[in-house]
Amino acid sequence: MKNKIIISFLALGLWACETIDPFEVVNPNLSSESIIGQANSSKTWLKGTERQTAIALNGVLTISEIASDNYENTNTFFNQFLDKLDIRSVDPSMNIAFRGLSRLRETAKFGLDQIGPNDPTYDDASKSDFHFYLGLSYMMTGEYFDATPIVEAGPAVSSADQMQLAIDNFTEAINANPSNLKAVAGRARANYNAGNQVAAVADANTVLNTDPNFLFTISFDPVNTSASNDGLAYTKNELQLALQERGSFDDLQPLPRLDFADPKMAIINASTDSDVPVLKAEEMLLILAEANSASGLDPLAQQNLRDCRILALSRTQGILNESTEGRTQKQPGSRPDTAAVVVDGRSGLVLNRDENTIISVISTTSVTDAMISAAVGDNLLEMIYLMRQEIFIAEGRRIIDMGVTFVMHDNELLQNPNLTAAAGMPNTPPFIAAVADQLDAFTYDPVALTATTTVNVNALIVANKATDFVCPFH
Amino acid sequence: MKRQKLLWLSLFSLFSMSIWAQSRTITGTVVNSDDNTSMPGVTVVNVAKNTGTVTDINGKYSIKVDGPEAKLSFRFIGFSTVNKTVGADNIVNVSMGTDALNLSEVVVTGQGVGIDKKRIATTVSTITSEELKTMPATQLDQLIQSKLPNAQIKLSSGQPGTASIIRSRGPVSAITNTTPVIFIDGIRVDNLNSNPSLGIATGGAQSSAIADIPMEDIDRIEYIPGGAATTLYGADAANGVLQIFTKRGKAGNNDVNFEIQTGAITGTADYLKYEETKDLYFNTGLMQNYRLGFTGGDAKTNYSFSGNIYQDDSFNDINSTIRRNLRTSLSSQITERLRYSTSFALSNLEFTRDYNANTSFARFGTLESGGYGDLSTMSNSTLDSLKDNLTVQGENTDITENVTRFNFSNNFKYKITDNLAASVDIGIDSRNSVQREGFSNALQVSKGAAAPGTTDQGSITVSERNFNVISGNFNLQHNYEKDDFSFITTVGGQFFKENDVQRRIVANSVVDGSVSINNSSSQQATDFFRVVTSTGIIVAENVGFRDKLFLDLGLRFDGNSAFGDEIGLIALPKIGVAYVLSDAPFFADNVNRDLISAVKLRANFGQSSIFPRPFANDLTFSGPSYLGELSFAFNNPGNPELTSEIATTYEAGADISVFKSKINLGFTYYNTRTEGALFTPPANPSSGQNSQLRNVGVIANNGLELSANANLIKSSKHELTFGVSYNYNQNVVESTGGAPEFGVGGFAFLGSFVKAGQPLGYLRGNRTTVDGDGNPVVENLAVLGSTFSPNFGSFNLNYTFNKKLSFFVNGDYQWGGSGVAVDDVLRYFNGLNDEGRIPDELASESFFDLASYWVEDTKYLKIRNISANYKLGNVYGFKNATIGFSVLNAFNFVSASFDPDVAGAGISAQSGFAGGGFGFGTESAPRMFIGSIKFSL
Repeated sequence: MKNKIIISFLALGLWACETIDPFEVVNPNLSSESIIGQANSSKTWLKGTERQTAIALNGVLTISEIASDNYENTNTFFNQFLDKLDIRSVDPSMNIAFRGLSRLRETAKFGLDQIGPNDPTYDDASKSDFHFYLGLSYMMTGEYFDATPIVEAGPAVSSADQMQLAIDNFTEAINANPSNLKAVAGRARANYNAGNQVAAVADANTVLNTDPNFLFTISFDPVNTSASNDGLAYTKNELQLALQERGSFDDLQPLPRLDFADPKMAIINASTDSDVPVLKAEEMLLILAEANSASGLDPLAQQNLRDCRILALSRTQGILNESTEGRTQKQPGSRPDTAAVVVDGRSGLVLNRDENTIISVISTTSVTDAMISAAVGDNLLEMIYLMRQEIFIAEGRRIIDMGVTFVMHDNELLQNPNLTAAAGMPNTPPFIAAVADQLDAFTYDPVALTATTTVNVNALIVANKATDFVCPFH
Repeated sequence: MKRQKLLWLSLFSLFSMSIWAQSRTITGTVVNSDDNTSMPGVTVVNVAKNTGTVTDINGKYSIKVDGPEAKLSFRFIGFSTVNKTVGADNIVNVSMGTDALNLSEVVVTGQGVGIDKKRIATTVSTITSEELKTMPATQLDQLIQSKLPNAQIKLSSGQPGTASIIRSRGPVSAITNTTPVIFIDGIRVDNLNSNPSLGIATGGAQSSAIADIPMEDIDRIEYIPGGAATTLYGADAANGVLQIFTKRGKAGNNDVNFEIQTGAITGTADYLKYEETKDLYFNTGLMQNYRLGFTGGDAKTNYSFSGNIYQDDSFNDINSTIRRNLRTSLSSQITERLRYSTSFALSNLEFTRDYNANTSFARFGTLESGGYGDLSTMSNSTLDSLKDNLTVQGENTDITENVTRFNFSNNFKYKITDNLAASVDIGIDSRNSVQREGFSNALQVSKGAAAPGTTDQGSITVSERNFNVISGNFNLQHNYEKDDFSFITTVGGQFFKENDVQRRIVANSVVDGSVSINNSSSQQATDFFRVVTSTGIIVAENVGFRDKLFLDLGLRFDGNSAFGDEIGLIALPKIGVAYVLSDAPFFADNVNRDLISAVKLRANFGQSSIFPRPFANDLTFSGPSYLGELSFAFNNPGNPELTSEIATTYEAGADISVFKSKINLGFTYYNTRTEGALFTPPANPSSGQNSQLRNVGVIANNGLELSANANLIKSSKHELTFGVSYNYNQNVVESTGGAPEFGVGGFAFLGSFVKAGQPLGYLRGNRTTVDGDGNPVVENLAVLGSTFSPNFGSFNLNYTFNKKLSFFVNGDYQWGGSGVAVDDVLRYFNGLNDEGRIPDELASESFFDLASYWVEDTKYLKIRNISANYKLGNVYGFKNATIGFSVLNAFNFVSASFDPDVAGAGISAQSGFAGGGFGFGTESAPRMFIGSIKFSL
């Protein structure tokens, strides 16, 4: 009897333990099995690859704009060192920039190697896009860095070799899906970067012949984002935050002669941020113009620029109510803030900031037909670089035109036996380094309403066109 | 898994015996050996049956015992316990002497079952109900502030419901803050001392679960600061264990108690940059607090009930708090051998909050950081219109939090034989908190963040956290005496399961005036789960030799669902020696007892652990929404070898009572080394992967704990006691396993970092000096100080006149730490930074390179509480009437330009590392002036 009671008691106890079962836990995370081998996983992984492209852009856009002559960081928590082109291996921005691009590379590779082949619904369009994003990661890494590892803690691969990897992947993308025009546009730019004039021109023409208004943008998601820029999950458009949406902090301030083009990105609403153009038809025309200029075919180059101007000015515009924000600044009155100001002898470059500021969200230029027609030789090349500066403003492209590159961060240097300390040292073109602290400088007479840019960086680029740093076709 | 269950069952099935015998009644009187006066309130326990009674007002008692022989134990706080074996005599009179070092005090925490302090080798701090009475406090951390000699408690904000930093022996971990685990009546409760993962930030205010721990009817608090004392808790006990015991009614003492408190709350202006802020923002408020309690019982069953309602409207125009608390406890002798005790508490906390710190919407922060300009040079009319604007902002601010929480504890004590007792605790703490932020168009317009007329920018965020922890423990304690030896053997098990489920909903383009998230253009929802289970099996042996030399041994096997696949159970041992030197014959022969009354020496070794974040061991992916579609991304790289970090402590100390027990001194040296410390070293950026939690670090804490308590005057009219403590903690990260340094708080340009050779969370930033030629010289990533002050302590003074009028003061102090004047960084952006902070020669340097100039010394001395009470006695038919008056946060003497307490910004993850140290647009805990009346019926 007693035994029966004990057995019953034990049984009851075991059952009671089940009801409170302290040993089982719910795991809210996705395991490999929930992703690899699942139908449609390649589509979802591709979406993630696009998302990572936005994250990777966040890693480079703001700091590139600050480092260039486009914007001055007068008063913000955004990178303070790069405004004077002070490029340091301890700067966390170097980590975030490279981490974001590496993660894009790894994400696209994982799509090609693991997700795609195991997905029963995998198709050529997806495969083509994975190759495109892999190409984009190599291309952008090659643009922003002289040499980087392309596998975890691997040896450094030069910018030129990464540009070739980009070209190869864009080609694979085109092979898998010949109508993938962004891959052609990407290959045009990669060939341009590599100095492959003929191939670049051929690709640019393909794009223009197929879609004269070609535009590829990356969208941002300000809702489902991490709180800060980390290269991993920050999908808010950070540059938009830096240019316009800053509450009581001051924003980045444009060089006065670029005031009309600012801000390219501005608040739309709480759940939508501005897109960032990554590849567009204007770039194809500018590649053609530079190729023609390099070949001494100035009239053709001028025509490319005229076409480019018309296209840029025909692009979508937005209206921004700037009455609450205005063009405030750390020292009021120190920067031009009215349309009456004449900059470098030209009027109309500075806008009044009020309820209805018209902003150009894709492209704009201040260059006129008359200016294009009047420019030949090196002046024409300078005009090309001026238009590149205006059309690519806030796209992180200016420092690439200037020949400026970033460095490896300490987190890589300390954990990668294949790298030497040299990978943490900047390789800034001497002609840019000489004016590093004057890149954003100008003089302003608020009484006479005139402003003068201290350094004409476009002229500097052209003067040094023969160096390896700039002008790939020269 | 199965094996663990079976072990549990076999332990549970050990109840099943009882012995019956004839009973008789013993009576007697208990007197104080000093003056032979009778002692009321002495607990008399029949050891065999665990039944008890209490002496009456004349020191008389009466208790039933079985058979011809019985053991009685007489206990009273502050007196040595007397154990008597009763023979044939039915009258037993007892004389009790004072217990200088409280060696007879029974402590539970860290021991499994209650045990005399004398027998243990570790330190346990206790706060008695008498001490708790002296201070009106609304939340637990405030209540214990300055009361625990070896712990420092800093409230991180004056806003309601906010977190604190509680630390004692330094930070032993980089993944969690220094908050101890908290138990109420043996049941583990939510101790989250930071914002939940999906919580609403509102500018850095950290909501805390400590703020709503039910505080009714606290009888006693025990606190162990870590080290060997926490070994038997395993899991996450390396930061210490704080255990609350609630009151039980006493036989024959049927009482009804009332307490009424009312007072004023004013903003602390001691740290203001601009005097004008006081007038612009502070607004003296009122508090009221009502408490009703019943307590009573008979020989078998007793009960206690307490209910309280608290309300205040804070020190500004929009904060307000309402608390409602209930607790009922019941204890009953069900059979001669089985005693059941239960306690049920319900608490509800509702409050409204303002924006603060790290947001430009913070009114206080924007005023103090120069966002509205230099207030000191503004005309009266400008200030008036600013005040009007602030009022409108306040009216439109809509941040609320509502917490409902209950905890329920059950304890079964079963006396199996005279020498063998079982104790089972099982219970739950369940907490639901809902934070809500209405971010209306009108609010944004009032703050200048949206153009007048904006109607599509309104949003509502609702964040809900449902947390419960079910915990239980089972102990069998066996007592055995043989010749000169006594053995207390404990075998037991513990488990807990924490369920933390959070959901956050953001509704966009909400029309102003809508309370519901439905009236919006779109809603996004996010959830968060953190579920963890922990199990432990403990074995402990306490061996006594001649009642003065004790050996304390223990071993815990710890299992946890957060461990990697490669990890099974981990073993945590402890070993300690305690020696009551003053009980040794040679001591009595050679030492003048009037000079040195008692000496206890103790030394121990022990390990305790902190478990990793659940699922941090897994290789995982995430599926974030991107532009309204599902996307996949890499998440955690995974680490199958992830396990707890283990803190190993060596500790030695002494407790000494001198000058006829007038002065008691405590001294402890400890050395704690955390091995396999859980760090998240940065991944190679070339991997493109997230950083992975790994057991790679080594953290060392060395320190001293000193305390002194003196009965300076003890006469029939005057009593004066003074207590002071001093603690020294040296914290250093000995190794990061070769990983590059990484941030744990603050900003990239000036933040808290982890680096080998520096204290955990040391302040790092660039330092620029001027060389001989007047050129700036930049030191990259310079060491700028530690946010934890290595020196800290507390003090208290208690004076009683005629046993009626009492006066109480306490406070605390620290020195040696540093903090960042973030408000002045912001004033720098506004062109208003403190004069002389940045050398003129460096005015044009980037502020990233000027980081060191914002780091300040954070020494302080604060008088936390001054109170006076007067016992009126029996008046107008009310019994035991007492009136009192208190001032909370009375005086602050601080070296920094900001309040070093209010420096909690920078906790980056739920219950993540909190070093504090960033003074950032946050109001200090307010000054309160409180009057109270207490009486019984």
